Amino acid sequence: MSIKLPYKISPLHGGGVSACAVLNVNIALQAKNAPRTKRFEAIIDSGASRCLFHSSIGRFLGLQIERGLVEDTSGINGIARTYLHDIALYLPGGVANIRAGFSDDLPLAGLLGMNGFFDRFKVVFDSTAQQCELERIFQA
Amino acid sequence: MTVINTTRADLLRGAPLDSWIALSKDETAIVAIGATFGEAAKNSERAGVDDPVILKTPKIWLPLSV
Repeated sequence: MSIKLPYKISPLHGGGVSACAVLNVNIALQAKNAPRTKRFEAIIDSGASRCLFHSSIGRFLGLQIERGLVEDTSGINGIARTYLHDIALYLPGGVANIRAGFSDDLPLAGLLGMNGFFDRFKVVFDSTAQQCELERIFQA
Repeated sequence: MTVINTTRADLLRGAPLDSWIALSKDETAIVAIGATFGEAAKNSERAGVDDPVILKTPKIWLPLSV
């Protein structure tokens, strides 16, 4: 079964808009029955090597962000420091236990990247229809 | 031709920058604002919305390349 996500529209400084594929997700600690966050927006980003979330969300869960394993990542703006933590990511089709990066410098709530998201979904970006289609992959 | 609905853009254009924003379940209204994710979540509950969608606004609305 697949789901179709209409692109979400955001304003641009000085006028105009931009559109991108966004999925509303929750995260939680991996402990059994750990409470989830409220839903938040995460951009589907094939350019991200793993899922990244703003540290503010991790702190809300009780994570001590700077105690995570350090991972420096290289982006268009240079090198950024992230801290890795194991979390549960709630996605269409069920929860995924993943290792995600957390950063205070992320300008948005979250990014769904290759490791943790794209390895669980077939993803089709259709800019002509302004939508993204997701199909969960369940590996044996 | 695809028609882009700019309602959401108009809504966010009026939101404070570099903040956490809680939207109503149908994402058509801002129900709470906070300096942190937790503050926005708590303020949303205070506003009577238990199932918001939270997002972070940037310091300036620019095209993303993250």
